[in-house]
Amino acid sequence: MQDEKRILMVDDDHDFVEAVSCFLELNGFRVFRAYNGADGIRLAKMERPDLILMDIMMNERTEGFFTIHEIRRDPALKNVPIFVLSSFCTRLPDFEIPASGGWLTHDMFFAKPVDTAQLLEKIRQRVGVTA
Amino acid sequence: MGEPAAAETVIVIDDDYTMRFSCGKILTKMGLQAEVFEDGARGLDGVATAKPAMVIVDLKMPGISGMEVISRVHEIDPQIIIVVITGYATIDTAVEAVRRGAYDFLPKPFSPDELRLIVNRGLERRRLAMESQHHEIEQTMLKRRFVTFVSHQLRTPLVAIHQYLDVLKHLDQEDDVPRFRRREWLDRCLTRIDELQNLITDWLTLAQVEGGTLSKERIKVDLNTVISPILKAYEQTASAKNVSLQAQLSEDCLFVWGDRNCLNVLFDNLITNAIKYNKSGGTVTVSGSQSRGEVVIAIADTGVGIPEKYRPFLFAEFFRVKDDSAKKTVGTGLGLHISKKIVSEMGGTIDVESEVGVGSTFWVRLPAWHEPEAAREG
Repeated sequence: MQDEKRILMVDDDHDFVEAVSCFLELNGFRVFRAYNGADGIRLAKMERPDLILMDIMMNERTEGFFTIHEIRRDPALKNVPIFVLSSFCTRLPDFEIPASGGWLTHDMFFAKPVDTAQLLEKIRQRVGVTA
Repeated sequence: MGEPAAAETVIVIDDDYTMRFSCGKILTKMGLQAEVFEDGARGLDGVATAKPAMVIVDLKMPGISGMEVISRVHEIDPQIIIVVITGYATIDTAVEAVRRGAYDFLPKPFSPDELRLIVNRGLERRRLAMESQHHEIEQTMLKRRFVTFVSHQLRTPLVAIHQYLDVLKHLDQEDDVPRFRRREWLDRCLTRIDELQNLITDWLTLAQVEGGTLSKERIKVDLNTVISPILKAYEQTASAKNVSLQAQLSEDCLFVWGDRNCLNVLFDNLITNAIKYNKSGGTVTVSGSQSRGEVVIAIADTGVGIPEKYRPFLFAEFFRVKDDSAKKTVGTGLGLHISKKIVSEMGGTIDVESEVGVGSTFWVRLPAWHEPEAAREG
């Protein structure tokens, strides 16, 4: 049996978190929920998730970016894959973000609302779980 | 504009030594940074490096003409004020210079006072132009930020609804989500749709208030007839939250000169807020009286209260208190902003008194209605 993979979700919209994390839990993941950047950083350090789902525009317009920056500063978390789920730009497709942009190659961007099935597939690929 | 501004630079270009020397001296005495040049080419170099506020140029010079200097200076910076110096005989040329963009002209010979007058006038004009440009930029940025903000506000509830439905669609077969949760999710979707509706309604009301289409009328309105129906309409909502509504409105003296629609929106906003941000077992008291030509309405709640640090922003567009207790309550952040606009439009004021954990009171003061002298009969 595979280890239960741990996912941290950081988003200030409780409903969005509820829908996505519930779906992931039903698919065998353990989900930690944070509703602001500070809690996200705290939970990331405490729980060492295998992957992080991050919103950008929370209380502050760019809270997510600062949160990612803070998380990355922790040596234990500097390689954790981060998927950005944001509606701040709808035209961006979900593509691999180049390392030159300050992103790791395994980071991804998803425009909100996300295709839940596709998100699940990408998460599974990234953390090495087979359906 | 807290600290004193750096001295503005004025460049003088004239082939006549005495002229540029004395102009320079007068300008320096005026507290300006004066730079003088003897011909157009050097003068233009000076303009390019010094970025002056003003250029004073003799029209008749050997080499590059004063007329050409005008257009070249404006190529460097169209905001630079140009004053031309001309002889008496060349007043036509001065007019031509003004047509080409010079601000004013100084006919020779001129007194130091004349120079000072024209320089001050020119600099004042430049300051005004720059201020209005600055204002325009600020307005544009505000508008752009508003659009970004509103689209985010509109999209957020839609995203949540979409996500719930998307997940429900994927789970349709297995019935993984327990029945009660499914029900809860549908309720949340409806709540978020309401949020969207309210946002659109409030946004529209705001546009109407700002455009003046909501409040054209000025008639005698008895606030009893505005407030009582609102209290009645919210009786159920309030009792569902275990909040009691009380009215202490003096009869026959709550007449204002205003617009019924606007007053409805105003008191509806304030009364719903008082219910929304109240505690179970709390009260909303609406009292009204008239004093010194003003009708004063107080809407008092026994709710969560507003921390002092937020009070200065309370009436600002889209402002919402970010405390957790307030975050659970649905709101668009436009209600109080609209209320304030309505009250100001009617020549009144709105203030708030609040204590955290005890409650808030909103005071609305509106000019009372008086029987017009001319209309009085007998």
